[in-house]
Amino acid sequence: MNWKNVAHLINVDRKSGRLIRGQRLTKYRESKLLTYIVYGGSLAFGILAGIGAGFIYNSVAAIDPQSKALFDQGLQSVFLSLPTLVLIYSLVFTMMQQIQRSGVRFSIQAPYWLPITWEEHTVASAFANLLGFPLASILFTGSAIIVASIFMNQVAYAVVTSIALVASAFMASVLTEIFRVLQVRFIGAIYRSTGRAAVWVRFAGSLLFLITFYIVYLFLTGAGAVNFVQTVATAQSTIWFVPFVWLSMTLYSFMNGLILQTLVFLTISVLFMVSLFYAAVGLNRRFGLYEPPAITVSRGTYVPRAGLLGRLGFSTAEAALIRKDLKAFTRRRELMFIFVVPLVIIMAPLMQAFSSTGRPTPSEAFPFLFAVVFLMPGAVVALSLGSVMIGEEGGAVWRIYSSPISAKSLVKSKYFFMIFFSALMTTITGIIGFLAFHPSLRVVLTALTVAFLLMFALSSISLANGIKGADFTELPRPRMIRTKWSLINLLLCGLAGLAILAPQIPVALTLIAPTSLLPTIDPNIALLISAGIALVITLAAYRLATRNAQELLTRAET
Amino acid sequence: MWLHVTLNYTSAVELKGVGKWYSEILAVDNIDLNVKTGEIFSLLGPNGSGKSTTMKMLLGLVQPDGGSVRVLGIDVQKDPVAVKRQVGYVPESPRLYEFLTGIEYLDFIGDVYGIVTEEKRNRINEYLKALDLEGREGDMISGYSQGMKQKIALISALIHRPKLLILDEPLNGLDPKSARIVKDLLHELKGQGVTTLMSTHVLEIAQAMCDRIGIMYQGRILALGTMEELRVRASMPGSGLEDIFLKLTGAGDIRAVVEELLK
Repeated sequence: MNWKNVAHLINVDRKSGRLIRGQRLTKYRESKLLTYIVYGGSLAFGILAGIGAGFIYNSVAAIDPQSKALFDQGLQSVFLSLPTLVLIYSLVFTMMQQIQRSGVRFSIQAPYWLPITWEEHTVASAFANLLGFPLASILFTGSAIIVASIFMNQVAYAVVTSIALVASAFMASVLTEIFRVLQVRFIGAIYRSTGRAAVWVRFAGSLLFLITFYIVYLFLTGAGAVNFVQTVATAQSTIWFVPFVWLSMTLYSFMNGLILQTLVFLTISVLFMVSLFYAAVGLNRRFGLYEPPAITVSRGTYVPRAGLLGRLGFSTAEAALIRKDLKAFTRRRELMFIFVVPLVIIMAPLMQAFSSTGRPTPSEAFPFLFAVVFLMPGAVVALSLGSVMIGEEGGAVWRIYSSPISAKSLVKSKYFFMIFFSALMTTITGIIGFLAFHPSLRVVLTALTVAFLLMFALSSISLANGIKGADFTELPRPRMIRTKWSLINLLLCGLAGLAILAPQIPVALTLIAPTSLLPTIDPNIALLISAGIALVITLAAYRLATRNAQELLTRAET
Repeated sequence: MWLHVTLNYTSAVELKGVGKWYSEILAVDNIDLNVKTGEIFSLLGPNGSGKSTTMKMLLGLVQPDGGSVRVLGIDVQKDPVAVKRQVGYVPESPRLYEFLTGIEYLDFIGDVYGIVTEEKRNRINEYLKALDLEGREGDMISGYSQGMKQKIALISALIHRPKLLILDEPLNGLDPKSARIVKDLLHELKGQGVTTLMSTHVLEIAQAMCDRIGIMYQGRILALGTMEELRVRASMPGSGLEDIFLKLTGAGDIRAVVEELLK
């Protein structure tokens, strides 16, 4: 293994990661100051946290010696569960990084035809996955427990735990590498076997994967995190035969003075890690350069179809743009998040309302939860869709520039697509909300109207911003909108949303506290005011979007 | 068949004193250029000489900093959509919508140019057959080779029967048969009054295909004319285009460079 090659490859990966985050690379050799700040900072904060915990421990021990024993016991549980927890969290985090890198394959292909072995490539990839947040969190956790253990007289355990943390994180990173390669191969096999249905299988599969992944992610980082940590701490000794808990079992045996058992678990842990690494190398060697087969969508004689859009008053060019965008959002993986976001949004209130472990939401709050489920997805879809509607064209935007498409037609087709899509999402999530919360007809009608008002207004605002801030960069990841304009869009959509919803606030408050002294407003008048505000915003932003599109088409320089 | 049209202009392309700066770099330096209707004209020049920028200005994709650009008698800055409607364009490295199939892409292009359904179908099928894409038209473009993508880009430039073709390296990646078909097609189109303005680094193609050639260097047109006129201009009677090109662009002493590299 040539470690110089490994270091160079890690550097390439790190730079590609920076490009993904939208940073510009100006120099080949860059200042390492930020790196030192991040890792040094993590270490320093870890030491401070350790000192803090140590002082608390000493104070508690001085007051109540019985608590000291409990503290010691608790600390040992933490030590034991940390390697498994780090493994799981690192796995989720590194997988998430891989999901973001849909286009990165092209930018990291160069090493494949350089004299680099698959071992070097795999080890570099595994280490590169750990850079950034995983390494910073390991430094923080490791330094915190070592310093705290000095006060608690458990330094040996803490040092061994810290080593186990690094090993766990490496194991997670190698696992991600294995998943990545298998996923490419697996998808290729699916395309081949499903034939023409491949495009829909890919769509459904991607959605399912993303939704499942986000649910797990939300669970591990949200309300379920504490329960999860407790479960891991207690359950791992019963599942000692699972290789992923062997590191924790090594620690457990060591802390209990079981020397032989410690040696056995340590040996099989190391063997397992080495096997995982060579499995990753083998898979990379076999499928690392694997190109999935082409997807065949149609066969037979080509028959152009007269579309419904033409009958709705769209020109052939506008209808063609709408159809093209529909295919883009159902076939491009990086755009499919649009389908996932609304579903993830409604999951939180639904899980909260019908939680089996936590305290369920009182049924009086159901109309408001329904309103959230009804209003939020459509609004969020409008907001995010508009901001990427032009940028998603990517490098192929020259086709728009060089075609006889006017600014008005471009905005009209993009706007229609957004409204259609947001309305569809609102309908789906609205039905789910209706079935879950059984709101009154009045609440349904009000929510439906306000949802549409939000959709029209936010779509035009975000489209105007999406055109102005369009970013056609595609590698290593499609950017679609510049960060500055994304933030401006978020701010303006937030303000517009508040303005449209403001007249509804007194109505909602009257529902919560009918006898209060709050000012009252007739619900119909409130709805009319909201509609008026939405209309003004929509028209103004739509005109701005057309002006921005005109500017985009006349200053097409790419 | 391509429609013969009555023209009220004699120059398909007319550039007068056109210049373009990119920050500190002068990409196009005050050039004048007339390409006659029905002519096959080639712009040659080393990398970064301003060919692609000039071509993009003809479509309104790049705004000139000075001068005027008229295409098919229309001021590009005043009515770019009218120009685009009558022009077929293939950029140097055409990025296509890779999530569409070949047929969907061409269908999209046909609709964008407003081609009637029946005619669109016939034309697409004709071109797919001619360029050997039959059988792969239902595959997503992401699975196409470079040459196949170039063929799709060329078809999309031709499908609406444009009066002017602006082709930046049109034969890039094409197999010999397809390259020959495209060359013959351009000749046929010339007979029907279609103007072609192309750029290429393959000088044999330019010499064999083009009525006139313009050699660009550092944003300026160094020489312009038929092969014979270029030979006279370079004082190289009987020479091929390659020698003339290298002499005019000051890259004549190639031998010394090669010897230096082999040391």
